[in-house]
Amino acid sequence: MTPGHVNSGTGGAAEKPRLLVRRLSKRYGNVQALAEVDFELRPGEVMALLGENGAGKSTLVKVLSGLVQPDTGTIEIDGAAVTLYPSARSQTAGVAVVHQEYSSVPTLSVAENLVLGQAGVPSLWLPGRLRARARDLLSAVGLDHIDPGTLVERLSVAEMQLLEIARLLVRDARILIFDEPTAALADREIERVLAVIKRLAAEGRSVIYVTHRLPEVFRIADRVTVFRNGRSLPARPTSELNVDAVITMMLGRELQTMFPKRGTLGAQALLQVEALKAPGLVEPVSFVIRPGEIVGLTGQLGSGASAVVEALAGMVSPVSGRVLLDDKELSLRSRAATLKRGIAYCSADRKRDGTFAVRSIRENLSSPWVRSVARRGWISARGERERSGDIASRFAIDVKRLATAVGALSGGNQQKVAVGKWLGAEPRVMLLEEPTRGVDVGARAEIYQHLRDLCAAGLGIVVASSDTAEVLGLSDTIATFYRGRLTAIRPHAEWTVDALVREVMHQEAA
Amino acid sequence: MSAELSVAPARHRPDWLLPALTLGPAVAGIIIAAIITPTFLNPDNILSILRNASLIGIVAVAMTPLTLSGNFVSLGISQSAMAAMVAFVALLGEGWNQLATILVVLFGLVAIGMLQGVVVAAGMNPVITTLAAGAIIFGVVSEATEGRIVSVRDYPATWGGGDVIGIPIVILVFVVFTALLTLMMSRTVTGRETILVGANRATAEISGISLARVTIVAFAIFSIGLAIAGILEGAAFGEATAKSFPNLTINAIAALLVGGTAIGGGQGSPLRSAAGALLISVISNMMVLNDFSPGGRLAIQGAVVAAAVVLLDLFRRRGVRR
Ligand SMILES: Nc1ncnc2c1ncn2[C@@H]1O[C@H](COP(=O)(O)OP(=O)(O)OP(=O)(O)O)[C@@H](O)[C@H]1O
Ligand SMILES: [Mg+2]
Repeated sequence: MTPGHVNSGTGGAAEKPRLLVRRLSKRYGNVQALAEVDFELRPGEVMALLGENGAGKSTLVKVLSGLVQPDTGTIEIDGAAVTLYPSARSQTAGVAVVHQEYSSVPTLSVAENLVLGQAGVPSLWLPGRLRARARDLLSAVGLDHIDPGTLVERLSVAEMQLLEIARLLVRDARILIFDEPTAALADREIERVLAVIKRLAAEGRSVIYVTHRLPEVFRIADRVTVFRNGRSLPARPTSELNVDAVITMMLGRELQTMFPKRGTLGAQALLQVEALKAPGLVEPVSFVIRPGEIVGLTGQLGSGASAVVEALAGMVSPVSGRVLLDDKELSLRSRAATLKRGIAYCSADRKRDGTFAVRSIRENLSSPWVRSVARRGWISARGERERSGDIASRFAIDVKRLATAVGALSGGNQQKVAVGKWLGAEPRVMLLEEPTRGVDVGARAEIYQHLRDLCAAGLGIVVASSDTAEVLGLSDTIATFYRGRLTAIRPHAEWTVDALVREVMHQEAA
Repeated sequence: MSAELSVAPARHRPDWLLPALTLGPAVAGIIIAAIITPTFLNPDNILSILRNASLIGIVAVAMTPLTLSGNFVSLGISQSAMAAMVAFVALLGEGWNQLATILVVLFGLVAIGMLQGVVVAAGMNPVITTLAAGAIIFGVVSEATEGRIVSVRDYPATWGGGDVIGIPIVILVFVVFTALLTLMMSRTVTGRETILVGANRATAEISGISLARVTIVAFAIFSIGLAIAGILEGAAFGEATAKSFPNLTINAIAALLVGGTAIGGGQGSPLRSAAGALLISVISNMMVLNDFSPGGRLAIQGAVVAAAVVLLDLFRRRGVRR
């Protein structure tokens, strides 16, 4: 069968599987990433692949896409044994992947990226036709507003993610793999991605869908495969399960509470934001954070929620307005200026500016505060070891692996490092964008607990998040943004899921 | 509770592997050299290798922080070291006192280096900046010396070629300098910040590390190494021309890369560059003893650098990324 031709199957149980993986193992040094994993995928089926951070999901994805060679095990596609390594073989076998970390080339245009690595594109393509084709693909994923000539480096994280999906549509593949495609997206974009995936499955293609956002699973997946510690559990139909059952399968135990109890708020203001204007905001924004308070900012892509956080971090200019920290004016002129006053900042894109991939976990964890364990410029090895070990154990990062490069960690564990490092800096205010992107449910609950612990110590926290459930469950106060304006700000008790979604969508939903 | 925790008794990634990849060939090279070249193990020859390695090594070691910080390499190495040597000899020739001369040359070079650091910190490409600075320095010195040899008449003592307790000064300086910079890069805040900036600029900035400070400090350290090299050579020969140090740029860069410091920054150490200098020096000595032509020597040296860089890059990709 040619990769271009797709069998329209209906996912009947008796059917020959499209993909059959048996006893597949892969080891990285001392880490057994996959241990005799079994995996089955039927034609026209959407299979959710779930598991904790580091469970081996991305490793299976990399094996299937030909990026890494498995140590042992067999793979069959439509009944025939196949070798998928290197990636060119995987492509001809009809596998296409959207990876967890982006693979678009930032210095090329959107249109150029769309044809990149695609077989059968004439080497001297016609720009006009390329643009027209690019427009079709972009509108399929809801990126109508992007000009195909835009350089990819100009796109936001979410736009890049949607572009990756558009790139996958070009390929006429039988097996489509999405590794956390919605991690960077807000509700509206997620809807688009889910719609695209449903359409692809209806065409008879098989989809493997990796996610940490469990509600999505029940909306699109036919079956669920859970990985735990590099081993696979037998696949189960989604109809037999609910969210709690899935969580229990993933963790091997029940999760008691997702969101910690809220504490009491201080009386005085910690951070006062008065008439803040910054790039991405069309109206000045004002709000107050009290000690111990978590303020959740939410909105769609480009709504202004992130713009507020970035401005407060001192990352953008020009900004105007007045910000007071402890009743003293806070200069937003530079990152160094805000950091000195105790403003911690964790951006949405850990790969770009949240971690040092080639350096060890310990050096990553200590990067914002290493000065404070130094004497006359000499780092106290003991101080660094102790404090980073402390953070690591609080975040369930294996203390024995602190010398490992962060780039070798699973995506979610990298996120824990990106957030956890600030704990050692003893900040006054913590600014976070999408703090649990790609983080599994267990670790997510831990991160929420840590944020609450920080609150108990008198910190103020601002979380910009597109995850409605997170904003609602975690925040004391919730502010919604729409097209550069703060549209509503109220205590959490005055919000419901429906109200929040309505406010975020604004008049569009009406 | 995370899956990461339950992973079987995790040991560290073998830290010795990367150094082994560079020291391995060095040892192998020396053994091969010793076998095929009878005069190789001659004490005089060993000493000459070490002296040569020291000079290249001081510069390569000094440049390592610059490379680690993500500012690639300098293409004006020969010219700056030469300027230091000419200035040293010329000032002594004017009858200056040794200590004053040393201090003036040192501070002069550091000033020139920091100026380049400021330009790079302001956003200029470091390779272009150092190339341009090298050309300017060469031009100015050539003009000033009018192409002639500068020398000290009745040079009191050629201490640059001398030794202390039987060990040549240049080797001592090399060892001490390497030890100091290795300590600095691994144990001080400045060293750590330098490496982090090279590992990821954007993350470093968010973590409050000043990119400008790191860049300027790296250039200053580099300049100290250049000044030391120039002064030692000046003090060894008592004369200098604008054409001194013809191969230093390529040799120092080769030593640094062969040593395994990543050209893009973020990984490596001065100690590795020192080992690289030793290897480069052994190879070129072996080729001289075996009567290779200058062209042939350069070609082989280039091939060794290319092989080492490709090998190390392959290793890193397997070990660290994805
Ligand atoms: N290149 C590598 N070198 C060493 N270890 C690696 C490498 N890639 C992955 N690992 C390890 O293999 C294990 C599985 O990682 P993997 O990326 O498959 O997890 P995951 O299930 O995708 O997690 P997440 O949900 O966090 O993305 C982890 O312990 C990880 O640290
Ligand atoms: Mg993953």
